[in-house]
Amino acid sequence: MFKSFILSYKLKNTYRVNSIIYSIKQLPLIGKHLPASLYSSKILKILGNIISTISEIINIFLGKIIYILIMIVAVLGMFKGNTANNFIHIFVFLSLAGGMLNTYMFNPTKDKYYAMILMNMDAKNYTLSNYYYSMLKVIIGFLPFTIIFGMYYGLSLITCVLMPFFVVFIKTIYNSYILYDFNKSKKIKNENTPTRIVWTLIAGFVILAYGMPFLNITITENIFYVLFVISLLLGIIAFKYVAQFKGYKKAYKSLLTTDNVYITQNTKKSEVIQKNTLNQIELDKKTTSNKKGFAYFHDLFVKRHKKILMKSAKRTAIMAFLIFLILIVAVKANSNISRETNEILMTMLPWFVFVMYIINRGTVVTQAMFMNCDHSMLTYRFYRTPKVILSLFKERLKTLIKINLLPAVVIAIGLPVLLYLTGGTDNYLNYIVLFVSIIAMSIFFSIHYLVMYYLLQPYNVNIEMKSSTYTLVQWITYFVCYAFIQVKLPTLYFGLATIIFCVLYSIIALILVYKYAPKTFKLRI
Amino acid sequence: MELGKTTFFNCLNEDIEIDEGEFYIEDSNKKRKLEADDVGYVLSTPNVPEFLTGREFLKFFIDINKDKIKNLKTIDEYFDFMKIEEEDRDKLLKDYSHGMKNKMQMLVNIIASPNLLLLDEPLTSFDVVVAEEMKQMLKDIKNNHIIIFSTHIMELALDLCDEIVILNNGLLEKIDMDNIDKEETKERIIMALKEEKNV
Repeated sequence: MFKSFILSYKLKNTYRVNSIIYSIKQLPLIGKHLPASLYSSKILKILGNIISTISEIINIFLGKIIYILIMIVAVLGMFKGNTANNFIHIFVFLSLAGGMLNTYMFNPTKDKYYAMILMNMDAKNYTLSNYYYSMLKVIIGFLPFTIIFGMYYGLSLITCVLMPFFVVFIKTIYNSYILYDFNKSKKIKNENTPTRIVWTLIAGFVILAYGMPFLNITITENIFYVLFVISLLLGIIAFKYVAQFKGYKKAYKSLLTTDNVYITQNTKKSEVIQKNTLNQIELDKKTTSNKKGFAYFHDLFVKRHKKILMKSAKRTAIMAFLIFLILIVAVKANSNISRETNEILMTMLPWFVFVMYIINRGTVVTQAMFMNCDHSMLTYRFYRTPKVILSLFKERLKTLIKINLLPAVVIAIGLPVLLYLTGGTDNYLNYIVLFVSIIAMSIFFSIHYLVMYYLLQPYNVNIEMKSSTYTLVQWITYFVCYAFIQVKLPTLYFGLATIIFCVLYSIIALILVYKYAPKTFKLRI
Repeated sequence: MELGKTTFFNCLNEDIEIDEGEFYIEDSNKKRKLEADDVGYVLSTPNVPEFLTGREFLKFFIDINKDKIKNLKTIDEYFDFMKIEEEDRDKLLKDYSHGMKNKMQMLVNIIASPNLLLLDEPLTSFDVVVAEEMKQMLKDIKNNHIIIFSTHIMELALDLCDEIVILNNGLLEKIDMDNIDKEETKERIIMALKEEKNV
């Protein structure tokens, strides 16, 4: 078994090292001049091995400390009561949820696919050796931090040492249950697509983890010992079952389908997205259009994609409406809330840049346009003539703006109404600026996404992302919008500036599209 | 192995910039530069707008290209020509089989009737019956079109082509087919390919 672990580790390392070399070769400027023989260079292999071993070691500890810091330490301050009990309580219940969410054994990874399906390694040896290894990593990774933080918050050393083992037992018990269930039902549970029952259980445990301490009810160290003994006893049985289980090959054959394995991987992700987007085409054949030419074409596109285009915008609009209703009731009932809301409305308009960014449907809509329409149509010469590209752009822009305006109008009306109800403002211009700037932001994002799509069309015929510029622009958009959360400025000035910026940007962007899109809007080679 | 046939087609279709050289076409003994409207390109994998029905796709295509299409026929006549069954004409293209999508793709390119028709690996995805139909159809239209198609199947090339060129390591080499039978041509092609490899 040890041998098969070493083999699988070597295999994993080989493609890890190769992917490190690959990413070096992808670097701009330098990358092009590096030869393919790099992959067989001994020194680079050794270097790659060192890097990959270091990253393995960092991974063991980094994940665990982040987990404890974010999930437990960061929230401890919220709860009254005994901190030691709160700590162990949250840890225990999160471990129960985590056991189901993160099984190691039933995560359909590339590693497993390569080893067991492609290389035909012995499934049982491979699985068990790697499972034991990952459980060892859990213990080693957790131990220093449960001891450090646990003892800091007042738990005994024994408890702190037992905690990581508790996690391992829980995971193994759940894994043995999945194997048992597979034997009976012949269906394997994929950890990445939990069933509704599993989701409910996970949600239940998470709620208990944080909810109970909030109500000042927690387990104590003594109760933890009882739970630990139970998990130990069940865990021993589970470990035995896992070690003796015979159907690993069968189980993994049904788990490691290409769909499952590649869904988490970028190169094939777009294919899965396309499959899903294609499924969104609505079959209602009665939808027809009286229009002509590209207007006819676009009209049918919109009508057959109503769900994917409109549903979420409608939902956001309704949500926004409800939030406003709740806020209106709240500000009427409580004068404190009213005063604060008024202040927020006068200074926090920048915050809405991020809100408008989040609710904008540009990414999804342009993606649907590509997957279900342009992907095939761009292979036709006539579709790429400037006239068709620009007329279709116009039609699409109208549609996209319309979609995004639906929730935007609700917000744009809601904000001034809220401002009025919370005591109003001295300068009536504020009402108008609030309304107009929200509308302007919505139109700006619509134009931004569509223009980026037309100028940087990032996919090739195999639906692979080929443009790093496109990704970069998306990231920049995100960061800029996110940064606005931190900004506090008087609504009047910020609003006016926003409006002017949106108008200018839109004009420039449209000019660029009319000038360059006929050249840039094509499939990447 | 990357021999460059798709690259060659992409060059002709202006999908990628060419490093040097020009493409010309001889039109009633006049030599002129190849233009965008001259070329129709049918990819080996079918690409059709899946959200339209076959009929809608044709209607849209004809709407857009009305001015360019010579002797326009009705949509059903085109369907008949391509042997697409009546019950399939109003189905969403999404539900068409691979071969039928290929037929549609071929059909719109034939409707446009470009001077030069590029076909990348045609007929490979068709079943036997349809492949025979398509072969017949290509034979019919080759009288008033230049058709360039790529294939790995030698029989197909020998069956359909007036001229055969071999693309190897980025170089085109013409196979002399005058006054010899199929078997001999075959041998010449294989000889030519082997020689290339030895260089």
